[in-house]
Amino acid sequence: MELIAGPNFSGRSAALMAQLRDHAPAFFIGPHAEAALSGLSSTVADEIEIYRAAISGREPFTPLDFATYAERKPATLSGGEQVLLALHCFSLSGYGVIGIDTALEQLDPGNRDRAIAYLSRGATQGISAIVADNRLDQPPGAAIPEPTGPAAEFACNLAAVARPPVCDPAIIKVQGLSFRYGGGRDIFRDASVTLEPGHAYRLTGVNGAGKTTFCKLLAGVLAPDAGTIELRGKPYAPWKEGNHAFAFATQNPDHQWCGATLGEDVARRRSVLERRGIDLPSDASLAALAACLGIRSMDQHLYELPLVARKRLSWLWPLSGVMPWAMLDEPTLGQDRVTREALADAIARLGAAGYGIVLITHDDEFAARIAHRPLKIADGLIA
Amino acid sequence: MTPNGAVAFALLVIVGAMIAHDLAGLLIILAATACFALASRRAIWSALAWSAGIVLPLALFMMVVWVGIVGRAPHEIAAGLEGSRSAATMHVAIICLRLFIIAFTVQAAFLHFAGWTPLRFVGALTLPRTAKKLLVLTLSLIDTILQAVDRARTALIGGGLITRQRSWRNLRHGWILVQTVWLTVITIVVGRTRDKWPVEETLARLEGTLAARVPGRLTAPDFGWIALAIAAGVAGLR
Repeated sequence: MELIAGPNFSGRSAALMAQLRDHAPAFFIGPHAEAALSGLSSTVADEIEIYRAAISGREPFTPLDFATYAERKPATLSGGEQVLLALHCFSLSGYGVIGIDTALEQLDPGNRDRAIAYLSRGATQGISAIVADNRLDQPPGAAIPEPTGPAAEFACNLAAVARPPVCDPAIIKVQGLSFRYGGGRDIFRDASVTLEPGHAYRLTGVNGAGKTTFCKLLAGVLAPDAGTIELRGKPYAPWKEGNHAFAFATQNPDHQWCGATLGEDVARRRSVLERRGIDLPSDASLAALAACLGIRSMDQHLYELPLVARKRLSWLWPLSGVMPWAMLDEPTLGQDRVTREALADAIARLGAAGYGIVLITHDDEFAARIAHRPLKIADGLIA
Repeated sequence: MTPNGAVAFALLVIVGAMIAHDLAGLLIILAATACFALASRRAIWSALAWSAGIVLPLALFMMVVWVGIVGRAPHEIAAGLEGSRSAATMHVAIICLRLFIIAFTVQAAFLHFAGWTPLRFVGALTLPRTAKKLLVLTLSLIDTILQAVDRARTALIGGGLITRQRSWRNLRHGWILVQTVWLTVITIVVGRTRDKWPVEETLARLEGTLAARVPGRLTAPDFGWIALAIAAGVAGLR
């Protein structure tokens, strides 16, 4: 397995793609779903079928029982499950070369170890793997490329993020939560948990356990089949009344833009949230925060930013203190060590100011920098 | 029944519905389609409801225009007759029933293959390879749009702009959802076509997968349904 090391904006992705083009056709797993799966299949069974070669002759990589997923739409799988499906497809295909651009960062520790072990012994099966990954240590003797032009353009300075205003504490009580996706298994079965403000909670569990689903339930993106949520002792049903408690940074940053430009995103949120009595920081404060995250113009078109920069900008709302809870789903994806450490410190400062934090991360080193309480999601329960 | 037989039946019914002269003829064709749907041995209520849902907005609009405002049928206008609202109502009923039959026939055909994946269905059709590939790409675009709707809703609900349940707020911000969906569709498609597909030659792979499937020949039930569709179409012309 060949590792392309280096910090953000050092040209790793470009180097990876150049190598894959040299070896084309080669299998590619990008950082997010649209570049991990083919996009041509309506079911997991079809996705596997497209890639299955008549004669592969190599050991299949089967970390999940894909037969039970056969009828699921690939896009409805969790981020980690999509990466595992892509790896499974590769193992059944006839491709000799695979390139993985930071996608392994979405895997839980067990699946990540299994994937790396599979790719590492690839030579015995005629597989060549080229990997860019922010959590794999630099191989001894490898040259670290210098950051290039865009690094300065999108440089972030998380240490300069202004301290958010002191938060009005908001305790969250979840009781008897049950949820299942249509036709799927129970994700939650009578699960209960209390989230106290001023604390960080790290959701753990295997890929597909329901970590992101829990966040979506708290943000009102999904409605539970049963159970209640209380906010400050009063019933809270965000799926009915709208989310006004959780500033949500999604795993894929493109799942959270409310406008085409940063200015439009801010204006739209302001028009709705202020009407509901939620004070947003001034445009100048938000622009200053965005600049700390590496975006220096409110007219910046969000979809034109590099993925690393989009991911950094996704932290804007949680760090702004606009809502009493910050919810960050895999915030470190694609981020180099320096940025991960700075982000951890910024989140810790948020907690010290009285905000509650819900965090999903498979990065133990990152999580260790934030005082947190682990919440394990398994078998439909949160413990 | 084979996918080829189902497609042949559906095409014949659609042609029959397009050339049928009157309500009675269309009702005969509808009866044939209903038999076809029932033969799938699956619940047809959802197919009926979807088809009605597709036709309803058009029906309402046409009722307002032709019956409420114009008050005459087009053929009456062409003949320079005074006309009547009942003729206009009949004109609207024929147009809407025609559309309903088309929508219901397509759904009925899919009822027969409810357990099949789209790739399996398309692979079993007797079509040129390029046509099959285009069909899969079209179906995948529908999935992409649905995925974009889901992503856009996640963004706007998570941001507090809209709610999951129906609300006035959602109506007010509906256009933002539409804009976000299209931006998302573009992002997803660009993400695929820029990196993944060229380096993997994914479309060539899809072509190989489709080519590996041998379309089945028409079976006796196929011929039976095709005969029924032709008979219904001819009856509709009388």
